[in-house]
Amino acid sequence: MNLFFLALLLISAGGTQALATFRLYSLMKVGAVTAIIGGCALGACNAVWRLLQHADPVSYSHSWLQTFSFSLKIDAISAFFLVPVFIISAVAALYSFQYLNDAKRGAGTAINYFFYALLIISMALVACADNLITFALAWELMSVSSFFLVIYDVQKKATRDAGYIYFLFTQAGALFIFAGFGFLYSHTGNFGFEALASIPDSAKLIAFILILIGCGSKAGIMPLHIWLPYAHPAAPSHVSAVMSGVMIKMGIYGIVRFYLLLEPTSALFGQIIITLGTISGILGVVYAIGKHDIKRLLAYHSVENIGIILLGLGIGMLGTATGNKTMAAFGFAGGLLHVLNHSLFKSLLFMGAGAVIQQTGSASIDQLGGLMKKMPVTGRSFLIGSISISGLPPFNGFISEFLIYYGAFHGLHLQGTSFLFSVLAIISLATIGGLAAACFTKVVGVVFLGEPRSDFAARASEAGFFMVLPQLLLAALCLGIGIWPAHFVQVAFEASRAIPLLANYEPTQFMPIMTNISRTVILFFLLFFGITLLRKLFYVGKEVTSSGTWGCGFTQPTARMQYTGTSYGDSIVDFFRPFIRVEKKYSEIDKIFPGKTTYSSHVHDSSEIGMNTFLVRPVLYLLNKLRWIQHGNIQLYIGYIVLAIVVMLIFI
Amino acid sequence: MDFTFSFTSFLSLLTAVSLAPLFMGVILKVKAFFGGKQGPPWLIKYYTLIKLLRKGSVYSTSTTFIFKLGPIISFVTAFMLLLFFPFAGLPPVLSFHGDVIILFYLLGLGRFFTVLAALDTASPFEGMGAAREVFFSTLAEATIFVILALFFRLSGSLSFAEYFTGDQIVNLWSQSAALILLVLIALFIVLLTENSRVPVDDPATHLELTMIHEVMILDHSGPDLALIEMGAFCKMLFYSAFISSLLYPFHTGSGLYNGLIFSIIMTLIYAVVGLVESITARYKMDMVPNFILTSFALVFFATILTMEFVQ
Amino acid sequence: MIHISDIFLALILLSVLLSLRSNRLMALVKLMAFQGIVVSAVPLILDTAHGITFKLIMFFLLLVFVKGILIPGMMSVAVNKVVVSTEIEPIIGYHASLFAGLILIIFSVYITNHLHLAMAVQYKMLLVTGITTMGAGLILLMARRKAITQVIGYLMMENGIYLIGTALAKEVHTQYVVEFAVLLDLLVAVLVMGIVLNDINHTFDDVDTALLGQLKD
Repeated sequence: MNLFFLALLLISAGGTQALATFRLYSLMKVGAVTAIIGGCALGACNAVWRLLQHADPVSYSHSWLQTFSFSLKIDAISAFFLVPVFIISAVAALYSFQYLNDAKRGAGTAINYFFYALLIISMALVACADNLITFALAWELMSVSSFFLVIYDVQKKATRDAGYIYFLFTQAGALFIFAGFGFLYSHTGNFGFEALASIPDSAKLIAFILILIGCGSKAGIMPLHIWLPYAHPAAPSHVSAVMSGVMIKMGIYGIVRFYLLLEPTSALFGQIIITLGTISGILGVVYAIGKHDIKRLLAYHSVENIGIILLGLGIGMLGTATGNKTMAAFGFAGGLLHVLNHSLFKSLLFMGAGAVIQQTGSASIDQLGGLMKKMPVTGRSFLIGSISISGLPPFNGFISEFLIYYGAFHGLHLQGTSFLFSVLAIISLATIGGLAAACFTKVVGVVFLGEPRSDFAARASEAGFFMVLPQLLLAALCLGIGIWPAHFVQVAFEASRAIPLLANYEPTQFMPIMTNISRTVILFFLLFFGITLLRKLFYVGKEVTSSGTWGCGFTQPTARMQYTGTSYGDSIVDFFRPFIRVEKKYSEIDKIFPGKTTYSSHVHDSSEIGMNTFLVRPVLYLLNKLRWIQHGNIQLYIGYIVLAIVVMLIFI
Repeated sequence: MDFTFSFTSFLSLLTAVSLAPLFMGVILKVKAFFGGKQGPPWLIKYYTLIKLLRKGSVYSTSTTFIFKLGPIISFVTAFMLLLFFPFAGLPPVLSFHGDVIILFYLLGLGRFFTVLAALDTASPFEGMGAAREVFFSTLAEATIFVILALFFRLSGSLSFAEYFTGDQIVNLWSQSAALILLVLIALFIVLLTENSRVPVDDPATHLELTMIHEVMILDHSGPDLALIEMGAFCKMLFYSAFISSLLYPFHTGSGLYNGLIFSIIMTLIYAVVGLVESITARYKMDMVPNFILTSFALVFFATILTMEFVQ
Repeated sequence: MIHISDIFLALILLSVLLSLRSNRLMALVKLMAFQGIVVSAVPLILDTAHGITFKLIMFFLLLVFVKGILIPGMMSVAVNKVVVSTEIEPIIGYHASLFAGLILIIFSVYITNHLHLAMAVQYKMLLVTGITTMGAGLILLMARRKAITQVIGYLMMENGIYLIGTALAKEVHTQYVVEFAVLLDLLVAVLVMGIVLNDINHTFDDVDTALLGQLKD
């Protein structure tokens, strides 16, 4: 535990140090980044060490105001979530060193580092919280610090709006969590976690759903994901990387933690989670295909990956409820491993997107192009991230999806609705996989390949060393987990042992399968290198020339004739039209020699529209009716306060 | 992983792969027959491969290393599929419980790079083909995974070896014949989709605007194109072998006899592809998703019906 | 061991699915002829235990004649002579109809399981197929615009009811009487349709049922 506190101390030192030395811009950055990375490295090593040693849980408690106690506990699940928290935060801090390079904004940058440090600390505390009060406090701290990180570019209106939406969602979510906690407290009578398993089943369901809504709004489960596509493009890229890579996983952590604490027996929990996973997964990726802004697209992919994680957890819960150990073990291990995997490749992709935006000044996919030649390292690491997020071998995304598939397949022996949900999970995973590949061929193909579609894309150059290095590190990790998955899967499984059903389950199936996958992947590489060599041999002494692309008979091609991301995704988006609203505007061609024509399309988020019509407008209507309460008379306001106190004194 | 170092397994694999171009010739012959023509020689595809391998290449100035990676990966992934497939009831070279998942995902990887290589050329036509390819294959992938789910429900197996050579084989001549019938039709639709045949895509069309697969490889030439062609042959061979293994129970009977029946059935499947190609026109592009979705609906029906059958 | 009846039922389901996604009137009529023949043959295959009696064969032939030849034949005449456009103009799109079909089959399996009927697996499967066919007929009725597709919807519902009847009837032959009466009604309906369509065609130059909406008060 001491090491853990030391790590947090070091991180907070980095944050506060920045506030003190903000006038010396470079020194502040060096100091803050080194301290944060040092602290994170310490924390990450500690967490990894605990996982590998199967260390016994350690706890720490500090009584405060007699009634509340501040208690922490690091068990396997906490340690598992701590690993991405520290690793991604450290890597993103390294990235920020060159990403934040506006010396005129010394104070703003310092504040950014301060809240960055605070965010890391609060996430670590959420993952270790051992009673309701500590959890709630850490959760709020996390929300507030991330809010300040989002509004870094506060002078832009879009950023302020995004920050406002994020703040609304995060506070409404917190409200649900607190309601759930209050509900739990009314049954157990204390703030501890221990008694939660003994409350009645119906109460468990209500509490779980309240916490699910709260944590779900943080995690970005559809339809509570609306803040993600606003906040991520507005925030600086290293912040988006941390928020999308790690912070939204804290929502998943909340769901997993309270599922474990409540120890429910009903299959309904798994079914709810699988349904939500299907919706988030499929619609998330379809919206992503429809988006033109690269960071907004990535934000929707977070929704999709949260969906995959939920599918894994849901399969695990279904397995637990039906006593199917294989299903439970593989489902949970897959879901948890995907938490780690997603944090790696999603932050990698956000960093790549950040580099592209910084170098070209544009986030619009359809205006970029040909960046693979201008930014070779960023391009290659982005390619690796794209293959990983599409869940394709030989990278890490495939490993976790494989585990979930395996669990879901073993659920097919079940009867009735459980069988149907297993089929649903398999179909969703397959569809998500295909669509994600479609989406990332679009991003890589349109942004990095082909010819530049604009002047600024043609003038781009490679990002600085400290922005490229973190991407390379993450790409290497993605490949590493993809080729040698065994230990990572083992660790994910150890974390899921907290489930009573799996406590004594020996995962004899895990190791051989992982070795087999590992061998298949190595075989793939061997064949790949073999064929590459063979291909080289065939080209020996042959004439290899280069010329323009074959224009299918057209001799005056321009870069603007290339297929754009919009047209690439159009047919897929159209296919899902009942769930998606696409607005297209174009000028009709009505003359023989048409003049300038325009075309624009926008994909509207149905949940946003739904929330607007069914929640925001009625509430606004109601509140407008209550406007007379606010009349500006200070004496009456005091009267309100007195009234409120009297009412509370009477009823409490 | 079960590694069968048996002579027959290797032999079956090698025979199948080396015969793949010949089978493609069957399609051409059937089409020529219906067109009232003599058609190209049976060995036409071998000649094409040799011709391509002897040539050099022209690369577009727009392209990057991905353009060269595309053909290699698409061939390697399609070939790896065959390593795990039991031809004519013989044990495959490699196999493990769960291999089907990684194999179909490897096919996805091959597609990923083929599509990227197409986008790499900056040609609007290739972009168009790429967009169609990813869309249609996503739908086909959903069908495939429902089929895998159905097979798991029927036999509890998750690898090609278990499907066709295991204790509880999946076959048309078993109790679940009705379901396999639906699967067969769906698989045939997937075969037509994944291999870009009529009525999904017409490999013989002359207009780039209407192509799917052919347009994506327009800029490849020489040995690169040969690799792509071989990859396409392997893929076609795999799907046809998949269908024939469902059609006839190869796990009984002697090896040579099975091999003979297997090649006859394979020839028939290729001939049927040629037949379909001769008597139907390709669909309007917006009808294709509908066609593939039918295959999905078929296997989904079959899967739901197992709730009745397998108690 | 293979149940031949299962294969027949699979074929019926296949025809149901194809009819939901079919976009040509003529193809739909052909599908209905195919479905009619297969549906008529189902009792012949299921009742092998009772032995194939002369009565059974007579019914079979009659049904095949009416369902497989007469009604589809008249409809194809109608398609060829009356209808101008051969596209089916769906109100609910093909994808959505297919999707509805998928939900329908889950629903029918659910219903069958919840009835808790003591019957052989084969008969249960028959019930599932019957309910699905009937539901698909309803979907066609709701989701398609043309008058002919309406009749096809009814025909498909009738096929479904027939299958359900076959599955549920303990006494094998009584239901044929009812079935036959329904079929006669349907036959009359087709005739009326033919005449009405012809008249509408002369008057309005179109046979879109949407236009009939203008006749309301």
